[in-house]
Amino acid sequence: MLLQIDFKTGKPVYRQLVDQIRYAAASGALRPGEPLPSIRPLAEELRLNRNTIAKAYTELESQGIIETIPGKGCFLKENNAHFTKDVRQKLLLKEIDEAVVTAHHLQVDRAAFLALVNERLDYFKQKAGLVREDNK
Amino acid sequence: MNDSAIEITRLIRRYGKTEAVNGLSLTVRSGGCYGFFGRNGAGKTTTIKCLLNLLQPNSGTLRVFGLDPQKNEVAVKSRLGYVPDSVAFYPWMTVRDTLDYFASFRAQWNRDIEADLLRRFGLNPSQKTSALSKGQKTQLALISAICPEPELLVLDEPTSGLDPIVRREFIETVIGAYQSGDPEHRTVFVSTHLISEFEGLIDDFTIIEQGRESLTMRADDARDRFKKIQVRFSSVPAALDWTGALQVKQNGREVELLANGNSEQLLEMLRAHQPEELRCESLSLEEIFVSSKVLTQTAP
Repeated sequence: MLLQIDFKTGKPVYRQLVDQIRYAAASGALRPGEPLPSIRPLAEELRLNRNTIAKAYTELESQGIIETIPGKGCFLKENNAHFTKDVRQKLLLKEIDEAVVTAHHLQVDRAAFLALVNERLDYFKQKAGLVREDNK
Repeated sequence: MNDSAIEITRLIRRYGKTEAVNGLSLTVRSGGCYGFFGRNGAGKTTTIKCLLNLLQPNSGTLRVFGLDPQKNEVAVKSRLGYVPDSVAFYPWMTVRDTLDYFASFRAQWNRDIEADLLRRFGLNPSQKTSALSKGQKTQLALISAICPEPELLVLDEPTSGLDPIVRREFIETVIGAYQSGDPEHRTVFVSTHLISEFEGLIDDFTIIEQGRESLTMRADDARDRFKKIQVRFSSVPAALDWTGALQVKQNGREVELLANGNSEQLLEMLRAHQPEELRCESLSLEEIFVSSKVLTQTAP
């Protein structure tokens, strides 16, 4: 899992970390039980305030995506979707709205947009399938 | 327990008739990293010297850990580390002598950090300090500021004049060796005009101009509020209303706007005119510093 910070997006830095780690978890770049980078080396590498990374990890922990094992570090949880279906869908809405707005400026119409969404769903499904085969 | 590491209220310090600091106020909360940005001569170093009681203010109040640095000089200084903009050591001492000399003034001195940093910077303990390069002198100053594990690290233009590799190592050391020790009680106050290097480290910042603060914000809030919008039309519509933008630069069919918290409205307005291309990005802290005159004119 490689993390990258972009100060130009206007998104708070800790949020960028949260989103990227969630993305890594969803795409298989980070697998359940795998450790997250420790705070200090990650802070040095990204040249970020260590508090920013700690804040991102705390946020991920409260979202139930990672867990901290004292003395060992942070790990991706086995089952990281403990929210109710409603809450999970709501969390997604904001990001869908962003994509819809972007599609609107780029003049991507409804059919093309939905086709893209389907393509990405297939892409991730295929990737997750490959990951499972690797594990065998 | 006072939760602000530094509190400056209406600080004034004159040199003769020149007011170097002219009514500056700011608060640095403990555990954060605070950027203090200003042009040469804006009053940064004078402010820092007042914090360390190297200069006495003409008026205003200063508190470091809730204490007055003039009345409690030793109590304040024993809890902070300082790296000045130009470093000088006794030239006849070796690196080893110099560190031992500094350690003798301190209640605690972390030998592990010292050994680790000497190795990391490749400093030879038996070398005379007079033979050190500018970068090596700054590294030695940083080691002597960090080893006592102070609650506050004051850095005055620490990386100016250093090569990029030394600068990078310097910042990594501040993040790693210093900040990781006891993160809740490790405060960094850094004055610099090499802002982009410290961008990821800064939680809050103040821009000082002519001895007074011109903008104080959280870094994330600033990047969220100040945005640059670039738009290209097939032909620029006549009916465009730019009044919401801080600054408008037009170059033929391309226009660049600065937005102050109203980027959404501006984008909405521009979209209605069907631009060929529309981009919006946050200003970096460095860009905010460079444009601070424009940004603060209409800041609410």
